[in-house]
Amino acid sequence: MRSSFRKAYLLLSPSLFWLTLFLVIPVLFIAVISFTTNGDFGRIIYEFSTDAYSSAFSSLYAKVIWQSIWWALLATIVCLVIAYPFAYFIANAGKWKNILLLLVMVPFWTNLLIRLYAWIILLNNQGVVNNFLIKLGFIDEPLALMYSPGGVILGLVYGFLPFMILPIYSSIEQLDKTYLEASEDLGAGPVRTFLSITLPLTFPGILAGFIITFVPAISVFVVTDLFTGGKLLMVGNVIRDAFLVEMNWQLGAALSLLLMILVLLSLMIFMRFTSRKDRKLLI
Amino acid sequence: MSVQMVRLENVIKEFDDSIVVDNLSLDIRAGEFLTLLGPSGCGKTTTLRMIAGFEKPTTGKILLNGKQVDDMEPYKREVNTVFQSYSLFPHMTVFDNVAFGLKMKKVGKEEIKERVTKALKLVQLEEYGNRKPKQLSGGQQQRIAIARAIVNNPKVLLLDEPLGALDLKLRKQMQLELKHLQQTLNITFIYVTHDQEEALTMSDRIVVMNKGKIEQIGQPVEIYERPQTRFVADFIGQTNIIEGTVSEINGDLATMEFAGQTIQIPNANHVELNEEVFISVRPEKMKVSRTPFEGAINLKGTFKEKIYVGSVTKIVVTMPNGKNLTINESHDKIEDLTDTSDELFVSWKPIHSVVLKK
Ligand SMILES: Nc1ncnc2c1ncn2[C@@H]1O[C@H](COP(=O)(O)OP(=O)(O)OP(=O)(O)O)[C@@H](O)[C@H]1O
Ligand SMILES: [Mg+2]
Repeated sequence: MRSSFRKAYLLLSPSLFWLTLFLVIPVLFIAVISFTTNGDFGRIIYEFSTDAYSSAFSSLYAKVIWQSIWWALLATIVCLVIAYPFAYFIANAGKWKNILLLLVMVPFWTNLLIRLYAWIILLNNQGVVNNFLIKLGFIDEPLALMYSPGGVILGLVYGFLPFMILPIYSSIEQLDKTYLEASEDLGAGPVRTFLSITLPLTFPGILAGFIITFVPAISVFVVTDLFTGGKLLMVGNVIRDAFLVEMNWQLGAALSLLLMILVLLSLMIFMRFTSRKDRKLLI
Repeated sequence: MSVQMVRLENVIKEFDDSIVVDNLSLDIRAGEFLTLLGPSGCGKTTTLRMIAGFEKPTTGKILLNGKQVDDMEPYKREVNTVFQSYSLFPHMTVFDNVAFGLKMKKVGKEEIKERVTKALKLVQLEEYGNRKPKQLSGGQQQRIAIARAIVNNPKVLLLDEPLGALDLKLRKQMQLELKHLQQTLNITFIYVTHDQEEALTMSDRIVVMNKGKIEQIGQPVEIYERPQTRFVADFIGQTNIIEGTVSEINGDLATMEFAGQTIQIPNANHVELNEEVFISVRPEKMKVSRTPFEGAINLKGTFKEKIYVGSVTKIVVTMPNGKNLTINESHDKIEDLTDTSDELFVSWKPIHSVVLKK
């Protein structure tokens, strides 16, 4: 027993080493920094202080954090509502399956920043959509398509939709079709079969999609930057500004840590409701 | 009395230009245990799936209880299936699995509980209602799959190799239990297997299929004792196929020439003079001895080998033309057979020669 444990550790040691070097140590750094005192021009004074946390929980930042959670959650839900039927369609598309999947993945190969710029051209006050609507006489004034929470949600949904589609697709794809036949055989029509069999059995895919959409959506800052010119903020913007603009590393570190805890919590929820096999959907 | 429960009329099923079920016509009586038997790929599952509604016949008609169902969705047919892989819903308990069909029919809660409990009792698993399918053994899952189907009181139960995944002993036991269940509930069973022994044990009638076509339909005894085609004789049990030419016809009997000797055959199939015919003779109908038997067919040959297989010993005798015949004898009768140059007579009664269609 003991020796096989030792062997396992020996085999694991290279990955444990890199994991420690690139993950554990930086996180520890952040944790330590978040409890230090802020000096001028971002100097770190190694005196214990919880100032960073008091400001992180102050109404100003707490509001941004809640807003981020809310927006990311909303965007994730919109993604889910769009992605499930889409993934279902792809999984049943027969010979078109691979082409459709490819189309879902193509955006991954272009930077999100560049793709968001393309949206700006469309959604701008002088953009294609507004011009079109004005010309048709539906509106007199351009709509603030971008400079609103709605715009942020749109950007987030656009940016992370493929993350939602892929795990849901693969869970639908892996679903043993004889369960569906068994359900039909027992007298359940297509709708009942979907609700009683397909949906519960693809729930791990939904959960996985939820996590891998929600996690990047809550921390991203390019969407708010580009779509609202920094007028609306998500926690990602605040963290970046704390580090780079305000030179308040303590606040940045504290906010980062809080975000990380949030992510860990959602992962734990995922683990709680899924089996080992289902977790592969995350990767 | 014998109501037609399922009727297939000239059913043809093609998959991408290949004909999988070829002009199948079949009447299945209410309460009958009918088995579709045939080698892998002969179209058994496809036939079953057409009756259940998962596949549509390319041409032809299917009638359930007198009603044409070609365009009826599977969930509207009064038919239930026991799938080969059981397909128990993994996210539901055993109870909920069995209750599923009743819930779909909007049966009341109390009645569901009552009927599910009864069905679970029938398959002797009433204490397992709260388990998930994964927590059951293969044999138990198999029984739950049966309970899930019969709880709906279907008119017809379709079973696709339901015992395929079980070990031999459990399979034998389940065969008897299933047969018993079918007789108690008086449901029409359409049972698919490629195990001929299973088919012979359980069925009222057997449909032997080959390459999408019916080779022979009959009771187990007919199929085994009077196979009509070479395929059926070969596929069901072991047999000796002997090929010869008809040299004489005399009323109910005919004579055929084989390896310079003569064999009397029953002339039930009305053979013609000089016709090439095949006959099948089961190894257990033949005897070996050093002297010919009175009033029997006696073929002279040389002893080749004997193989002890437990219940019997198989003796292989080589005919003058090189053809080997296999005979089953009880072990003690032939202990002295050792010399490979021994001259032996292989004997059987003329009525045990079964003339085959080509
Ligand atoms: N959906 C399908 N598409 C194309 N060909 C199919 C399809 N289903 C079955 N076939 C073909 O039809 C033939 C008969 O298949 P079927 O499953 O009915 O055989 P079977 O008698 O049940 O065999 P087994 O004993 O191996 O289960 C096979 O050659 C199979 O490849
Ligand atoms: Mg099959």
